Amino acid sequence: MKRRGRGIACMWYPIGFTVAANPSAALVKVNEDGTATLLTGTVETGQGSLTVLGQIAAEELGIATDDVHVISADTDTTPMDTGAIASRTTYVTGNAVRLAAGKAKAILFEVAAPMLGVKPDQLEARDRKIQVKDYPQRNLAIGEVANHAQVVMGQPPIGAASFNPATVALDPETGQGKPFSTYVYATQIAEVDVDDETGEVEVLRIVAAHDCGTAINPMLVEGQIEGGISMGVGFALQEEILFDAAGRQINPNFTNYIMPTSLDMPTIEVDIVKSFDPTGPFGAKGVGEPTAVPTAAAILNAIHNAVGVRITSLPATAEKVLAAIKAKRAPAPKRIAARPRQLGR
Amino acid sequence: MAHKTEIGVREQRVTQKTLHSVDETLRLPAVTPPVTYPIETLVPQVRQQTPAVGQRVTRPDGRLHGLGQTRYIDDLAFPGMLYAKIKRAGIASARIKRIDTREAEAMPGVMAVLTGREIPVNSFGPSLKDQPVLADDRVFHAGDGVAAVAAVTEQIALEALDKIKVEYEPLPAVFDPLEALKDDAHKVHAPNSNIYATKVIKKGDIDKGFAASDHIFEGSFRTQMVEHVPLEPHAAIAVWDPNGRVTIHSTLGRITLGRADISRTLKLPLNRIRIIATIVGGNFGGKNEITQEPVLALLSKKTGRPVKGVFTRTEEFIATTTRHPIIMDYKTGVTKDGRILARKVRLVLDGGAYCSWSETTLGKACILSAGPYKIDNLLAEAFVVYTNKTMTGAMRGFGAPQVCFAYESHMDDIAAALDLDPLDIRLLNAFEEGSPSPTGQVLQSVAVKDSLLQAAQRFGWKEARK
Amino acid sequence: MADVTVKVNGKLRTASVPPETTLLQLLRDHFNLTGAKLGCDVGDCGACTVIVDGKPVNACLMLVGQADGRDVLTIEGLATRDQLHPLQKAFEDHASLQCGFCGPGIILSAKALLDEVPNPTVPEIRDALSGNLCRCTGYTKMIEAIQAAARVLREEPAEPNA
Repeated sequence: MKRRGRGIACMWYPIGFTVAANPSAALVKVNEDGTATLLTGTVETGQGSLTVLGQIAAEELGIATDDVHVISADTDTTPMDTGAIASRTTYVTGNAVRLAAGKAKAILFEVAAPMLGVKPDQLEARDRKIQVKDYPQRNLAIGEVANHAQVVMGQPPIGAASFNPATVALDPETGQGKPFSTYVYATQIAEVDVDDETGEVEVLRIVAAHDCGTAINPMLVEGQIEGGISMGVGFALQEEILFDAAGRQINPNFTNYIMPTSLDMPTIEVDIVKSFDPTGPFGAKGVGEPTAVPTAAAILNAIHNAVGVRITSLPATAEKVLAAIKAKRAPAPKRIAARPRQLGR
Repeated sequence: MAHKTEIGVREQRVTQKTLHSVDETLRLPAVTPPVTYPIETLVPQVRQQTPAVGQRVTRPDGRLHGLGQTRYIDDLAFPGMLYAKIKRAGIASARIKRIDTREAEAMPGVMAVLTGREIPVNSFGPSLKDQPVLADDRVFHAGDGVAAVAAVTEQIALEALDKIKVEYEPLPAVFDPLEALKDDAHKVHAPNSNIYATKVIKKGDIDKGFAASDHIFEGSFRTQMVEHVPLEPHAAIAVWDPNGRVTIHSTLGRITLGRADISRTLKLPLNRIRIIATIVGGNFGGKNEITQEPVLALLSKKTGRPVKGVFTRTEEFIATTTRHPIIMDYKTGVTKDGRILARKVRLVLDGGAYCSWSETTLGKACILSAGPYKIDNLLAEAFVVYTNKTMTGAMRGFGAPQVCFAYESHMDDIAAALDLDPLDIRLLNAFEEGSPSPTGQVLQSVAVKDSLLQAAQRFGWKEARK
Repeated sequence: MADVTVKVNGKLRTASVPPETTLLQLLRDHFNLTGAKLGCDVGDCGACTVIVDGKPVNACLMLVGQADGRDVLTIEGLATRDQLHPLQKAFEDHASLQCGFCGPGIILSAKALLDEVPNPTVPEIRDALSGNLCRCTGYTKMIEAIQAAARVLREEPAEPNA
């Protein structure tokens, strides 16, 4: 008989490396027609980081995403980057990109200011124009300014910058310190059906509410959450590398290493929590790894809710769940030392 | 004259017969088919929008993916390119007595063979440099590479691996992390202790906290070893130029670090190394350190030809990093209405044969292990131990999925015992703006409660309450 | 050596290759059509999926002798000089592909489905994709895109929230 259950799990996760320097550098050059090229040493592994970094550069320069061409991942031609790791790209590389674009923009403002009859700090870049703040009617097309800068003034608009999160080393005895500049938070709630005759768990639905600061590209954030949940489902219920007594892997292949297919995926509903981190580029933080963090916990809590068994080791295979159901053990957590008891007893 | 022609014809026939699959010259198809895509470039409206932040912008690389035109490393070919394969130990702990590569080297189509003693500096690692490029004297896990071959086809390279004879002296091994913790356990990297890194977080006074608690709960949890399983296996191509510069096209996710590792292992200045990693088919943390790159570079140098190496799916499992299995013990003291007063955590991480990203994983797991909760009295201790199994490294979450499974299962157990709604007990204890973290950091831009309430609302949590 | 003739994306192609060559090797190494990928080489992951005589097939499991004389459609044969295939357009609009490695196989499995079932249910779509592994996306946006492409192919108007 199928029993329905639901489980909740929340989590926190840091952005960037633990204390250690993990800088990213970026270079932005504005072409004579107002389009731009961004050079970044980061590696696009599928998460869409190049698109997001392009959006950040475009936002800073007041142009559209399609106006920015992104070049990446070549140690000869792109500036250094600590890498697409620790969910740091949007935050660390994004900040570097924003700063670099800002420097190129400063050159554009310097050139545009006399053309518009104002001081550079009165200008802003929006909608492909360099315009006067609070008086946008006085403006120039960014292409005109960029061309003038390079061709007439001899000042090509180019900017390079780097960024490294601010941390404080941890005390070796107590671990106290500021290991990360910022964190993200999330909750996932899973709804499952547990077949109490076979132990099989079907994940029906997962609701995920993730904080990522400003979502630079909500569609790509959703994609990360959906993908992370698929890894979480596998971690919770299926995947395991098995070793024989001599320490050799028994199942180094897809036939016997079970991982989620399209048939195993639940319906996923995503909510991006409204949040803004002033230390991130346009308020953004990150999302890559947090998506895979609370899923297993939510599913296992749902199993507990459905059939009253607490599985304490992953994966919660059908065999394990069935054995637990059969043992009819809903393990009451050990209770010790009810108050009042004295210390040092 | 006739005599010469006869010899010529005979030689040609013999050559074709014995070398039909061993073509020493150019092996690219003569004509590349034309690529078909729409003449009129469609630019999605959303990519033309300003402002750019917040837009559901489509990806230009996404279009290439859908057309099948993205060129991953295995889709690239260079003139005269050779194919490399690595022989895996197949034994978890051993001393290498002898490696005999003569039979492999003599095979038609095999252009070079490489062993560990030819690597200029045969050690690397993101923190501890305890991993060899190719095992030289000792084997520490069954997936260790012991020799490599470059041949004109992949098939010949694989056949050549079988012809490499390695004589092993089996050594004791330890596989269980709790066993490895013991003083009398076999030392994986003797004379060093198996415990190769530790971390402690201490805050407040847990004894006082437990004494003041109405209830104390304990729970033990364990997670398994899993693998990243990127659809694209690890792949790289090494090419040299006459100025002594090597270009390595690779699936590496950290090219700055990768370049530093190549520089160190091959004893080359940094500006003689170019790493290009523009297109990768998934990483998830498993492609963040070098694997075969120095091997390919040396084979390429030896043969004077580009050398490509693509891991088999088996190698993806046995010879690349995996997620740390963790044994987690929790003890939590709460008031009768469910507020956490004290928490004690012990984590033992199975650290595999080499350190890789274990120090980072250990640190993060320890810091995150208390959960996103306000806890004044905390002791979290974490250890990572060597075992003779596949090395454990960086994998999406660095220990967070494991500890979250533990602390959230534990939280639900507490809620059940106190007859509290799992949502309510979390809202009671969750971080708020300005709360101190386990390391004493004042937290800003905190959104735990928002995420709890939003998810609960969307799910219909209160309505579904059993 | 085996002499094979295969119609690939509408054009007759010939090759003289060792008989143990797979269709995947033929496409990738001999015809330089690298859209079909090598993910496991034993037919478990679906990254090598192509359509042979209308049916989706793991090209790594088919020997050239079995492909001889047949009609093969690869990812390179979907788009025309006029337009992307509706599946390719929908996958792009919905950000259905992330690293893209499984993409050609998934899109061809989807095409094979839509050729047979023009209005598939979500379970039917999941079933059609069940032989294609994807580690990045969780399949969610792929299913949305396939439904959107199916509507286009049926010449129906888009849904308001598409």
